[in-house]
Amino acid sequence: MKKRLYLELENCIGCRSCLAACTQCGGHEERNRNYVYDVNPLVNRQTMPLMCLHCVNPACARSCPAQAIQIHETGAVLSALVEKCIGCQNCTIACPYGIPKFDTEQNLMYKCDLCIDRTKNGIPPMCASVCPSNTLQWLTDEEIGNRKKQFNLDNGKWVSSLPYLESETNVKVNLPGILQGIEKLF
Amino acid sequence: MQKDKFFKAESNVVHPNETLVKTHCAYCGMQCGMNLRVNVATNKIIGVEPRYDWPVTVGKMCPKGVTAYQQTNHDDRILKPLIRDDASLKGTKEGFREASWNEAYDLIANKFRELQVKYGKDSLSVFSGVSMTNEKCYLTGKFARVALGTRYIDYNGRFCMSSAAGGFLRSFGVDRGSTLPWTDIHETDCLFIAGSNTAECHPTSMFRVWNVQERGGYIIVADPRETPIARRADVHLDLKPGTDLALANGILNLLIQNGYADEEFINNHTNGFEETKELVKEFTPEYTSELTGVASKKIIRAAEIYGKSPNAVVMFARGIEQQHKGVDNVSGYTNLALVTGKIGRPKSGVATFTGQGNGQGGREHGQKADLLPGYRKITNPEHVAEVCKVWKITPEEMPQPGVSAYEMFELMEQKTIRGLYLLCSNPAVSAPNLNFVRTSMKNLDFMVCSDFYLSESAEFADVILPSVTWSEDEGTVTNLEGRIIKINKAQEPIGESKPDWQIQVELAERLGKGKYFSHLKTAKDVADEFRLASKGGNADYYGATWDKIDKQDGVFWPCKDENDMGTPHMFLDKKFYHADGKAKICALPYRPPAEEPDEKYPLRLTTGRVVYHYLSGNQTRRIQFLRDMCPEPYVEVHPETAKKYNMDHEDKVRLYTRRGEAIYKVKITEAIRKDTVFVPYHFGHEQSINLLTIAALDPISRMPEFKVCAAQMEKVEIKKVQ
Repeated sequence: MKKRLYLELENCIGCRSCLAACTQCGGHEERNRNYVYDVNPLVNRQTMPLMCLHCVNPACARSCPAQAIQIHETGAVLSALVEKCIGCQNCTIACPYGIPKFDTEQNLMYKCDLCIDRTKNGIPPMCASVCPSNTLQWLTDEEIGNRKKQFNLDNGKWVSSLPYLESETNVKVNLPGILQGIEKLF
Repeated sequence: MQKDKFFKAESNVVHPNETLVKTHCAYCGMQCGMNLRVNVATNKIIGVEPRYDWPVTVGKMCPKGVTAYQQTNHDDRILKPLIRDDASLKGTKEGFREASWNEAYDLIANKFRELQVKYGKDSLSVFSGVSMTNEKCYLTGKFARVALGTRYIDYNGRFCMSSAAGGFLRSFGVDRGSTLPWTDIHETDCLFIAGSNTAECHPTSMFRVWNVQERGGYIIVADPRETPIARRADVHLDLKPGTDLALANGILNLLIQNGYADEEFINNHTNGFEETKELVKEFTPEYTSELTGVASKKIIRAAEIYGKSPNAVVMFARGIEQQHKGVDNVSGYTNLALVTGKIGRPKSGVATFTGQGNGQGGREHGQKADLLPGYRKITNPEHVAEVCKVWKITPEEMPQPGVSAYEMFELMEQKTIRGLYLLCSNPAVSAPNLNFVRTSMKNLDFMVCSDFYLSESAEFADVILPSVTWSEDEGTVTNLEGRIIKINKAQEPIGESKPDWQIQVELAERLGKGKYFSHLKTAKDVADEFRLASKGGNADYYGATWDKIDKQDGVFWPCKDENDMGTPHMFLDKKFYHADGKAKICALPYRPPAEEPDEKYPLRLTTGRVVYHYLSGNQTRRIQFLRDMCPEPYVEVHPETAKKYNMDHEDKVRLYTRRGEAIYKVKITEAIRKDTVFVPYHFGHEQSINLLTIAALDPISRMPEFKVCAAQMEKVEIKKVQ
C-alpha cells in the first residue's frame, strides 16, 4: 500500500536526528538534504523541520533547463542527474521552500529524493524511520485521513489544510495546532 | 513480549557485501535498538540501520544514536597501551609513549604491590562507570574486592542514579527504575514529569509522551526551564532550582485535602501516611508558591489533573535527583503515586529516566562502595557469605564498605588513597568542584586509566590501557525499564584494544589472583558467573539467560529461574519489598538548597545536557555531526536578566561561584527563569561548568548537588586589536 511522508510540525523537539539519519541512507553521499529551523530563537525552543514536499508539479523540475530533475513513478522528485545537471541553480531559486542544495565543487544540485532506494520498495525513508517525536511519519492515505479526522475543529476546518504555494504535494503537512481539536479525557 | 500500536514490521535495506548486526545504542538508558552495518570483507562497522523490530523504540534514534557507530573506527582510538614516565606532565596530553601489554601489566602490578605493601590494601581504589555491560560491571566489583582486596570502589552512578536508587529503596524496598514497561507510557492518562528534559535527554520516549496528549491526556512538567516538553505541557511548573521537595509536598497536600487519597490502598499497602499528612499540611498552595516561585493556580491545577487521572505515571530524572536532598525528592514525588494508589497496575506507576546506558544494571551488582551482586549489602553477613561462595573467598577476605565517588577524591587528597584504577568514566569533567578533583587526581602516586579515547581524566594517568567500544564486545545491559537486553559484537577489537573484563582477568593473574579469575575466558563465562552471583538477591538475574533475552526481546528482572519470564510490571500483587510487604509514604521536611543566592552570588546556576552530547562528551565531542551541532558550551540567560547585566546575545561572560569560574558565550532565551542561568556540562578543561558546581552531598545517596548553586557573572570586555 502506498505510503507518504507525513509531518506534524508541532511535535518537533529540535533533535535534528532527521539530519543525521539523512546522511545514513546509503545513497546520499553522507550529506544531509533536509533542514530544521528554530522558529523563535531567543524566545522559546520551538523548532520545525523543513523537508522537500515532493510537489506533484514541482517548480524545481519546471525551472530546470536541462531536465536534470526527474520525477519517479512513486511521485518522489529526485536529486539532479549528475550527467545532466549544468549547475545553473535555477532550481534553488525556483523552489518556494528553498529545498535544493548546491555543491559548488561538483557544480551539482542535490536534494531529498525521499530515500528512493528504500521508498520504491516500501521501506520508510531514514528521516521518518528515526524521528523520535513522530514529527515525521510514514503513513498510508487511510492513516493520514484518520489523523485528519482526529484533528477536526468545531468550525469544520482542519488546522493544517492550507493551500500550498505549489498546490498539491505528495508529502502531507500538519501545521502547529494539532491539539486544538482534541477532546480531553476528563 | 508486548508489541504495541507503534510497532510496524518494516524491512531493512541490506547493501551489497554488508551484514546487519542487531544491537543497542552505546549511550543513554533508553538503549534504543539499532542495526550496525558491517562490511563483510573488512569486518568493519560502516553505518547504522533502524531496528524496527525493537518493541521499545521501533527504529527510532536520536542524533547520538544515529552517529554512535562512528566511535568504533574513529581516528582518536587508542590502539596500544600508553605509559608516561615523566609524572610532572600529569594533567596534560603530553609525554605518553606506546608500550606492550606485558610492559604495562608489569608496571601496574609492581606499582600496585608496592603501594599496598607500603600503605596497606586500601591505598588502592577503583573508580568505574555504568556505560558498560552488566558482565563488566560485575567483574569490576569482584576485581576490586578479590584481586586488589581494597574497600575503595565506587562509580559514576553517584553522579547519576544514586538518588533514584536511594529513594526507591526507601519507598518500595527495591530499586527498579521503572515500575512499568515503556510500552505503557503512551496509554496512561497523565504524565507528571519532574526534572527531566525528556526531549533532549531521552528523545526516543517522546513519541509515546506526545501520544498521551493526542489521546486527550495531560502532561505536567516541573522544570526551571521551558524545555521542549515543557513548551507543550498542559501545566508547566516553572520552579526555582532546588525547591522540588516543597512542590511535591504542596501537591501531595492538595491531593489529600481534595479527597484524592486512596484510603483502602493506603491502609492495606503502605505505612507512614498519617505522619506525612500532618507534615504536608503546612504546604498550602500559597506557602508552596512562596518557596518554589510557581504560581499557586498552576500548583492547584497540576494536583487536580493528577488526582482526577484514572491512570497516571510520575516520572523524574537528574533535575530532582542531583540535589543534596535528591533522595527526599524521589520519595517526595513517589508519595504522589502511593497516596493516590496509582501504582502496582498497568499504565500507572513511577519511573526515573535512567541516565547512563546501564545505569540500572550497573548499580545493582557490586560497583557501589557498599553493594555486592544481586543488590546485596556488603554490611549484611548473610549476603557476604552468599557472594563469597561464588567468589570462592572467605568472609574474612571480603573488604569493608568503602566511600562514595566524590569522597574518594577527598581521600586521595588526604593520601589515604594513593593509587587509582579508573575505567568507563571521566570524572575530570563529570565530578563537581573540579579544581579540587583535578588536584586530587594529580597528586596520586600512581594512576591507571582504561578508555578507548584519551579523555580529560586519562590526562592524569601514568598508564592508559586501550579498551574496546561497546560494539567490539558482547554482554547484557539493563535499560531504563529494568529490561535486561543483549549488546552484540559487530567487529573485532581494533589495534591491540581489549574488553575491560579481559584486562581485569589478565591483571588479576599478574597480581597472583589468577585462581579466582582465569576460568573467565569469554564474556559469556563472566555472564554465567554473574547470573549465579545475583541468584537469590533482590535484583535476581539468574533466569535471564542470553537465549531467553534474545527470544522474548529482553527480560525484566527479577527473573529467578529458567521458567520465569521476568517481571515487566512491578507490584501487581500490591506486595512491596519491605519486610511487612508495605510501601513507605515518607514524611519529608523541606530543606532549601545547600547554597542559596545572596548579594555576592545572586543567581541560581543549574546544569544539564543537550541532545547532541552524552555525559562528559568524551565520546560525542569527537563525532563530527554532533560537534558541528553543539561545538561549545554556553550560558542561557533570560533577556531581562541579560539587560540588567548589560549583556547581549553571544557576548562573552565570566561566570563564577565560590569554587571556580569559566567563560561562556551568552545565549539569550525567554525559556528560562529570570533568577536562573543554565550551562550544559559536556565540556572539558577550562570549559567545564563543574569547575563551578558544589559538592554538597545527599546524606543517603552521596549525590552531589549539581543542579543548583549560587553564582554571579560579569561581561568580559573584549579588547579590540588596533
